[in-house]
Amino acid sequence: MRKLEHFEELENLRKKVVAQREKIRSTVIICGGSGCKATRCLSVIDAVKKEIVKQGLGHEVLLRTTGCHGFCEQGPLMVVEPGNFFYGHLTAADAQEIVSSTLKNGEVVDRLLYADPLTGKKIKTEAEIPFYSAQDRQLLKYSKLLDPCSIEDYIAVGGYKALVKTLTGIAPKTVIEEIKSSGLRGRGGGGFPTGRKWAEARSVREDEKYVVCNADEGDPGAYMDRCVLESNPHLVIEGMMIGAWAVGARQGYIYVRNEYPLAVQHTRLAVKKAREFGLLGENILGSPFSFDVDVARGGGAFVCGESTALMTSLEGKVGEPRPKDIHTVKEGLWNKPTVLNNVETWANVPSIIVNGSGWFASKGTRGSKGTKIFALTGQVKNTGLVEIAMGTTLHDIIFKIGGGPKNGKAIKAVQTGGPSGGCLPVSKFEIPVDFDTLYETGSIMGSGGMVVMDEGTCMVDVAKYFLKFLQDESCGKCVPCRVGVDRMLEIVTDIAEGRGRREQISLLQELAETVAETSLCGLGKTAPNPVLSTMRYFADEYAAHVDEKRCPAGVCKELIHYDILAEKCTGCGVCLRSCPYDAIKGEKKKAHAIEEPICRKCGICITECKYDAIAVG
Amino acid sequence: MMQTVTLKIDGTPVRAAKGSSVLDAAIECGICIPHLCHVPFLKDTGACRICIVENVRNGGSSVTASCTLTAQEGMVIRTNTEKIQKLRRNIAELLVAQAPNSKAVQDVAVRCGVKEVRYPFRNDNCIQCGRCVRYCTEMWRANALGFVGRGKNRRVEFPFAMRPEFCKNCGSCTLYCPMSVTPCGGPMKRGEESLCGKCESQTVMTPGMIGACVRCDLGKGFQCTRHVL
Repeated sequence: MRKLEHFEELENLRKKVVAQREKIRSTVIICGGSGCKATRCLSVIDAVKKEIVKQGLGHEVLLRTTGCHGFCEQGPLMVVEPGNFFYGHLTAADAQEIVSSTLKNGEVVDRLLYADPLTGKKIKTEAEIPFYSAQDRQLLKYSKLLDPCSIEDYIAVGGYKALVKTLTGIAPKTVIEEIKSSGLRGRGGGGFPTGRKWAEARSVREDEKYVVCNADEGDPGAYMDRCVLESNPHLVIEGMMIGAWAVGARQGYIYVRNEYPLAVQHTRLAVKKAREFGLLGENILGSPFSFDVDVARGGGAFVCGESTALMTSLEGKVGEPRPKDIHTVKEGLWNKPTVLNNVETWANVPSIIVNGSGWFASKGTRGSKGTKIFALTGQVKNTGLVEIAMGTTLHDIIFKIGGGPKNGKAIKAVQTGGPSGGCLPVSKFEIPVDFDTLYETGSIMGSGGMVVMDEGTCMVDVAKYFLKFLQDESCGKCVPCRVGVDRMLEIVTDIAEGRGRREQISLLQELAETVAETSLCGLGKTAPNPVLSTMRYFADEYAAHVDEKRCPAGVCKELIHYDILAEKCTGCGVCLRSCPYDAIKGEKKKAHAIEEPICRKCGICITECKYDAIAVG
Repeated sequence: MMQTVTLKIDGTPVRAAKGSSVLDAAIECGICIPHLCHVPFLKDTGACRICIVENVRNGGSSVTASCTLTAQEGMVIRTNTEKIQKLRRNIAELLVAQAPNSKAVQDVAVRCGVKEVRYPFRNDNCIQCGRCVRYCTEMWRANALGFVGRGKNRRVEFPFAMRPEFCKNCGSCTLYCPMSVTPCGGPMKRGEESLCGKCESQTVMTPGMIGACVRCDLGKGFQCTRHVL
């Protein structure tokens, strides 16, 4: 490919690609994201590809392997255009039928359609599925429209239009003003106004400046950044180019964690393609603006998602945070002014430039504008990625989009913001989701993880889980985080295992506040949030563990015991055979019994018993 | 002429060399901010967090380590508010519970007002202040010591766990280690650790003189800046 040397050449290329695509009669869009790969979408893709050739449709049907569509629970999934038919839970064996009836004759394959879990009614098109229709997909809409490995696809849907618009007529100052008035705030968790960050970096007098994309997403259960990078890396690169133009940087870095192999692969390919097309490098599209991006891989440390630790890691040192008394926009990477933004923040920039700040500011609440992607996981029916306008209530996300509880148990709480966030009880489900409201209620927006928990979850156990995670992931540099989190875990473990004392609860509170105030970096400062929020909203559960030595949810193994209810037990012997520890004794057709000292409370007998004869007390 | 900045520490106007830390500025004029991992002439990392202060600005205040906070014109610093005292006491309590077998740590705990230890003692050999590592790296440029691992498993180690040839045998690592001096009562055995607290009488911290550095003997155990200079 020859380098594009003028803005018009890009436009011509766009027209050419669009004209080529006009011949295509129908498009099969199959998700090739990490979630669907885990459910063997590759075999489906192969089968569909072969079947299309076999049935002689090769010249009129386009098979597009895309990034994540969001509805991971239904994977492997497929959308057929035109018609917008949605098929879920596919296997390679379905390929023949899909090609012969849907692609050839335009008929729907009924058995593959999505069935509404509430009514059981089959839903034909993707747009009608409540999971999608209740969302406001601005960034995620691209994942269906383009193949992440093809720069032509991105150009065809209007890619790099924002860049051309910027380079041909918007001064850097105006770009910053535009971002400022759009009200865009950092999507990585802090929620710092992006425009202000850029303006500060621009005001520093220094020849060398950097822009960095933070794709070191490490929250358990969150994968928004992975999805955006996997399904549309060019969008992020375009955003970074506009940012670099605004602050005066010539070099950018994308710091993506190595545990996201597909994201690394797609990003590298995108950078390579953009260089080939002359969209990165010297004198981009014939303008005086020069900019290049390098992809750096993170070694899998959660703390490297913190801005200063990320920069230390980029410099090639051990990824430990630095004191932040001087902002990184003044002294960041290699002590030069650095603008660090999250993947989602960069991805929002091009559409703000194209559609104007007014369009962006029209969505959301007073303090938080635009849309935000959340990774909805846990005990809800529809798990996956959801993008909603800021200000949507938690209730809408969990019940309208998520479809309500999965196992019939009532929903008890939602954990937002990953290990740095907090747990909110049902009574707070009516609050609008935005930066400020979530912060006021003791949680944070974070990068967008959302774990829904039902009655079967013990909040002390949840706090313990997150503390264990943070203890493992703390870099260990400062005392409050290294020792303090460890001691908090010690206390919470004591409580969960029945050794808790009353005074330990106040000690835990005091310690949590100390860690939050005195830690060196953001990881330590937010580490006590899971403990503080569970203590605030679920104090009764802590009290039950400490005073009555009882776990209300029946989770903490040291505080529960299993019993076989003699009146329900039929003596079928299933539990006896399934117990891996031989803890169940009994004769055939007579009520069995569990030997307390041998029982490890693994719960296998409960899942095996057909008569609900085993009770947890 | 040396460029200076003027800041207010605990209400006292203090003049400090431009670029110096708040901790250095305070010590220079006799205000005692307890500290542990700070060694004069070495780069500060803000690891122990004992030297935390309140930085008052924009109507609020933020808690930050004074050793890594660069003194700036017009800064208002509070080193001894009730909030800071409580936070500092909690951190010192964590430290002394972790490593009671060090005179320096025991002394810092006394200085910070720890009266009881509410956690089970652990008797570790290292508090990871990083003084040895920084001295080895910055003063001697030997790079014979470094940190290995993360979180709970972080420890000071030779490269590849072997004493390298380029170690200069200077002994500074042990000299500057706050763990190398045992408490006055002798080494404590596992299970018998306690808060020493015997040198409380030496602190001369009368209620009216809180925060004034009187070159107390407490500092000797860990080369407090005033004793080294």
